[in-house]
Formats: sequence, structure tokens, C-alpha cells
Amino acid sequence: MTEATLLELHDLDLQLAEAREAAHVGKLKKLGFEPGERLSLERLRARLLAGVERRWVQHYERALQRYGRGLVAMRERVCLGCFVTLPTSASPGVGESLTLCESCGRILYWR
Amino acid sequence: MTTVAVHPVPDTSLFLPDLKLKRKESVLHEMACVAQKAGAVRDAELLHETLLRRERWCPSAVGKGVAVPNARSLAVTEPRLVIARARRGLEWGASDRVAVQLVLLVLSTSEMSVDSHLERVMRAIAITRTQRNRLKLLEAEDARIVTALLREAAL
Repeated sequence: MTEATLLELHDLDLQLAEAREAAHVGKLKKLGFEPGERLSLERLRARLLAGVERRWVQHYERALQRYGRGLVAMRERVCLGCFVTLPTSASPGVGESLTLCESCGRILYWR
Repeated sequence: MTTVAVHPVPDTSLFLPDLKLKRKESVLHEMACVAQKAGAVRDAELLHETLLRRERWCPSAVGKGVAVPNARSLAVTEPRLVIARARRGLEWGASDRVAVQLVLLVLSTSEMSVDSHLERVMRAIAITRTQRNRLKLLEAEDARIVTALLREAAL
């Protein structure tokens, strides 16, 4: 539950980064789109956050504040946030796909 | 100078010549699944959810029978353009009320900046600005013709 919600939260935050910036909204309008109000997105964010385990929320929000993204994918044991190669011992346990990057503190998605 | 490629349809698997689906939600799901099969997406369900949410905030119909849904998502592993045609037309909520026959799905990885993503969306829209190009896309017999058109458009 936490994993799916965190992934959705991450994608929502990417969208919100666009919706909060007047220049980006202006670009969308120039392209012929009609972006709506972002209030519903902010409400959804609050709802999703409430569904994530507290410890993950803290890690996620801290990394988001610091780097602009709280969660990144892994590729061949390389964190795509800080590009540090992690040891095999950093792999998630069976049935899990989230860990923390030992280097930058972002949440890592291992799929 | 920065070059941002739209990544034209690289193989037939990313070109859906005649969608039989009728609902926007089903079309987006089908396109997300096709992108996953082609190896450009790791999680079609997450991408679908992201596309639907974006659609609610910023409907992707740009008029003249064209829709350009797009997403920056953790679900995307490779930037891709997926093209689908619906000869019967789809109800997409366009402001000009024209049924959508061409759907260009622009997929960007979450590592890409908003500016790079919007640049890719802009290039995809630019392809369909002229009636000549829209007709070519609608009448193309196979993916190779579509690819050639995208290359001709210097994308």
C-alpha cells in the first residue's frame, strides 16, 4: 500500500511542480491546453500523504525539500538521483522494492 | 545548443493504426500497456493513473481531431512517442467538439526536466498543426510512413 501510494505521490509531485509554476502553466496554454486549478491536486497530495507510513513520509519530504525529488529509480545498482553505485547488500528484502540511498537519502525504487 | 528529440515511432509496436476502443480511459490504458510491452515503461498501471490524473487537470485534446496526452513519470524508463489512430473518432472533450482521430502520447522519464518534457510535447503538437501532416498520419498505411513523416518534420 505504502509503495503504490508513494509512487503515485511522486508522479503527482512532478505534476504539481508544473502546476505551481506560472511559466509552465503559461507554456501549456500557449500549446493549446487548458490547465485547470491546482487545488484538487493539492488536496489529492494531502490524501496520499495520509496513506503513507510516517517513516517513509519523513524521508520522502526531506529529500523532496533538498533535491526537488523524494524518490528515484535504481538502474544496475546506481541511484539515479546521486549516481552512486550501491553495494549488493543495499538491495531490498524479499517482496520489497523500496530502500533508502545510503549516499543521498532519497527513497530508491528497485524495479 | 540543446537538442531534444521527440523519439519518433521507432518500431511498429508503438504505432496503433486503428483503435477499436471508444473510451479515453481505455485508450490511454491500451497505449500504456503497448509502451510497457515495448520496454519503455516499467509499470503500465502507474502510468495510466498518472495520465488520467493529468487528463483531469489539463485535458489533452488540442483541437482538429488531435489529442496529445503526456506524462513525466517514474513508470517511464525510456522517452517515447506512442501514436494511435481511431478512424471512427473518440470523444475526448475537445473545446472545438471535434472527435479525436489522432492520439500522440508523449512519455518522458521522471529524470527529465519540465522544460525538456514540454519541449517534446510542443514538437509532437507541431507535427499535427498542418492539415497536410494530419492527413498523412491518418492515411499512412504502416508505421514506416509515420516514422518518415516525423523525420521529415525534422523531429
